[in-house]
Amino acid sequence: MSKAQQILDALGGDDNIVDLEPCITRLRVEVEDPAKVNDAGLTAAGAIAVVRSGIAIQVIVGPEADTLASDIEDLR
Amino acid sequence: MTALTVLAPVTGTVVDVSEVDDPVFSAGLVGPGLAIEPDGVRGGEAVAPITGTIVKLHPHAFVVQHEDGRAVLVHLGIDTVRLGGEGFTTHASEGDVVRRGTVLVTWDPAAVRDGGRSAVCPVVALEATPDAVDRLAQVGTMVEHGEDLLTWG
Repeated sequence: MSKAQQILDALGGDDNIVDLEPCITRLRVEVEDPAKVNDAGLTAAGAIAVVRSGIAIQVIVGPEADTLASDIEDLR
Repeated sequence: MTALTVLAPVTGTVVDVSEVDDPVFSAGLVGPGLAIEPDGVRGGEAVAPITGTIVKLHPHAFVVQHEDGRAVLVHLGIDTVRLGGEGFTTHASEGDVVRRGTVLVTWDPAAVRDGGRSAVCPVVALEATPDAVDRLAQVGTMVEHGEDLLTWG
């Protein structure tokens, strides 16, 4: 499974994502239900860290964030 | 590995990254570095911290990669991605090879602050180990853009 697919799944899938945008080192994601986000799944997919603040989830992935975000968009 | 000198990208006061109100930078999640609190008047020109290829260029942030693979991230303000580029002008393109000290972005740190955001600029040695980077400027001192900030060796 691609890294993008793993991240999408760990975020709770397409249905759980309200908004997703890359910012140099991270994916900024707004989710429907934060409980559906699997932090361990995100780190298993290669995320350096996950920073949560309510429905705002930041997935820290390093400088490949832009590429990953467009790969994830392609899967949605 | 040859020591790589990283220049201050903006003019301002040197700040410890642990003081930056963003966990990615304060905890060094993407690498160690320093931050600069830009001068409201003279901090508006952001220059390339090293000679290399611009691998990422957003209005509010950029990454320059040295030919040996080492890359330095400069982020202009915190949460400035939310500004959607407004108030930022880029003067180069991704893929360009630039000499250190070349102006890449002009912006208005005072306007960012007026908008309620922090204008602090983290400068990060991407994926470096903390002990690979040493400070060439002391926290609390003023640096001009283009002056030595860090050595990565």
